[in-house]
Amino acid sequence: MTTVAGAETFILFTVAGTTYAVRSRDVAHVEMVEQVTAVPNAPAFVDGVVFSRGQVVPALNLRARFGFERAAYDLATRLVVVQTGGRSVGLVVDGAREFASFDPSLIRPPSAALAGLSGRYLEGIANVADRLILVIDLPQLLLFEDPVLPDHA
Amino acid sequence: MSDETFAAGFMDDYFAECDEHLAAIRRLLLELGGAAASAGPAPRAAVDELFRSFHSLKGISGMVGLREAEALAHHLESFLRPLRDGGRALTDEGLDALVAGVDALEHVIASRRDQRAAPPIDAVVARLERASPTAAPVEAPAASAPPAPQWRITFAPSPALLARGVNVDTVRARLRDAGVILDAAPQIHGGSIAFEFAFAGALDEPTIALWREDGLRVEAAPEPLAADAASTLPAAEMATPVGPSHVVRVDLTRLDDLMRMIGELVITRARLDASLGRVEGHVPAAEWRAVQENTQVMERQLRDLREGVMRVRLVPVGEILRRVPFVVRDLTRDSGTRVRLELRGQDTEIDKFLIERMMDPVLHLVRNAVSHALETVDERVAAGKPPEGTLTLAASSIGDTVVLEIADDGRGIDEAAVVARARAMGLEVPDPPLDRGRLLELICAPGFSTRTDTDRASGRGVGMAVVKTTVEDLNGRMSLETTAGEGTRFVIELPLTLAITDALIAQVGDRTFAVPQAVVREVIELDPAALRRLERHEVAPFRGGTLPVLRLGEVFSVTPRPGRALHAFVVGAGADAIAVAVDRIVGQREIVVRSLDDALIQVPGVAGATDLGDGRAVLILDLPALARHRAASLRRSMEAAS
Repeated sequence: MTTVAGAETFILFTVAGTTYAVRSRDVAHVEMVEQVTAVPNAPAFVDGVVFSRGQVVPALNLRARFGFERAAYDLATRLVVVQTGGRSVGLVVDGAREFASFDPSLIRPPSAALAGLSGRYLEGIANVADRLILVIDLPQLLLFEDPVLPDHA
Repeated sequence: MSDETFAAGFMDDYFAECDEHLAAIRRLLLELGGAAASAGPAPRAAVDELFRSFHSLKGISGMVGLREAEALAHHLESFLRPLRDGGRALTDEGLDALVAGVDALEHVIASRRDQRAAPPIDAVVARLERASPTAAPVEAPAASAPPAPQWRITFAPSPALLARGVNVDTVRARLRDAGVILDAAPQIHGGSIAFEFAFAGALDEPTIALWREDGLRVEAAPEPLAADAASTLPAAEMATPVGPSHVVRVDLTRLDDLMRMIGELVITRARLDASLGRVEGHVPAAEWRAVQENTQVMERQLRDLREGVMRVRLVPVGEILRRVPFVVRDLTRDSGTRVRLELRGQDTEIDKFLIERMMDPVLHLVRNAVSHALETVDERVAAGKPPEGTLTLAASSIGDTVVLEIADDGRGIDEAAVVARARAMGLEVPDPPLDRGRLLELICAPGFSTRTDTDRASGRGVGMAVVKTTVEDLNGRMSLETTAGEGTRFVIELPLTLAITDALIAQVGDRTFAVPQAVVREVIELDPAALRRLERHEVAPFRGGTLPVLRLGEVFSVTPRPGRALHAFVVGAGADAIAVAVDRIVGQREIVVRSLDDALIQVPGVAGATDLGDGRAVLILDLPALARHRAASLRRSMEAAS
């Protein structure tokens, strides 16, 4: 935990028109998405695996995870590789071009009205310079609660 | 900074050092065990060395604040003292207490490593105290024995003395013959080294004169040397004047890093090869030959480098087998069986990681053999067999494979009982005689046991099911031979190392997969027209019989490329054999295995991923697991339908 009072840095990214944030200390790096290898029988929101700096990481599609329509990768698509709890996971997002510094005390719990599919993966909402930023609860996002494998025959 | 955070930095070193000491201790206990069996006095050198190991463990455990380990090591050390100083014989009971103490010490250290609470040690400590040779009421405790005269003896080595064969080792041996070395320390005097020994023993004048002639300074100690002298580190460790050790201890993760870097080099070379292939036509033939020669040399050198690093990771199999005699001893103590243990090929080397994973499975097989397979002495004699059962543990290496064999000459596996038990569990089993592969599969079925679970050997956390999955996880194979009344033999084949392996590269539709060559028995071509459908199965004619066919494209929902022929990998043997069909096999390659660690991408049948040179992740298939998964889901869907 950062004990320094005041601002923390966050990496901002967009998924389906909404801006999300993760703490930059949880982000290993951000890269272009290329050559994702599909993994048969993996959960539906996993696009597959990629080699990222010599390591094989799962590519978790946030559009799919949040219940949106998948979109084809384009030049703006990015892989945000996060490291938390000893795991490395790549998040496929529509774009990631900014970072922001703000005081975590600005993060307010999400209102009940906002409880969509992404609601359970949110730590809260921050209002920074009149922009609404949804701060991701990473452990919750990466939780794989249903390890029962599909009966594929 | 608290002591604990301070200690945290040392913990890896601490555990590594504990491993070394514990390994040495197990070896020494064996030696002592031999002596106890023959009721002779405990071999002095072994007791000394054991004493030193406990002493070191006590010291380092204290340093990292692991009080239980410190206390145990202290009691073990105290236990040994009368043996060391008084030349007492080690009783059977004493050896058992010693073994139990070491066992507890290991558990305490392991529990810290796994960040669990330490097990209680009071019972073991009490047992050690009870069994201590000094506990015998008729014997006076060693501490109050009349003290031998004490001496300070100094030896300064010189070329002249050396020429006469007098060096620090012979001096030490001489002192040991005449008494007890209480302490030893090298001293630097004006640029030259001298060894000072605190020594207790009765010395007569001629001896002293003789020693002085040999350059020793012998002085009566002015006052009794340090009260606790007997518990200070004995001589050899401190004063051994040998040069620096030629052994370096390396963290396994550093070797992993090195292996990973070599893996990257292998990939880069593959890329280079691919690029060179594209420019071949544009380069004059003479130049091209030179380029090719160089890349070939590089390939060879890379292979050598890889082998070299791999060798570093290898440790002798004997390290896991060393525990076996204790397990056997423990199990046979009051069971009415007698077991002769035959260890072979202990020097065979295998990857450290693999050996650690195999430790429990091997011990499980040993326990099974001793408590279930080997008959009691009476039973054996009645059956006309030698009274003593033989348990053989053999290791050997063939190419890149290590073979472990665990064999006994006991009663053999009772097929009828296995079949009855399996049927009681609701498994489909044909009538005996069974194929050996099928029999092995049954006894490895989860929850399978022909004995009750209260049996002494069970309840240790691993069953045959775990043995089998561990072997398979390590890309190994296990097979079984058993003959009623004659014995049972388990053969486990393991790859020497996991990091880099040879693989066949196959394609289905637009996907590429890698298949480790070790699991492939055969590659065959299938004529799609000759395939037959039997209910839910597709089978191919094969050597007069049939072989079930699993189409990879179907399993992975990939549309195969239409073609005249299919290629298939034959995996498994006997009744387990299956052909896994792909569109084509494009070649054989050395691949670098990267594991898929994250739960999100752990799916049955996929063992890892590799890079063939284009930066793309290519999945490495675990065909036996795929076949098992497929069989299981077929079974489930059939049950659902019925």
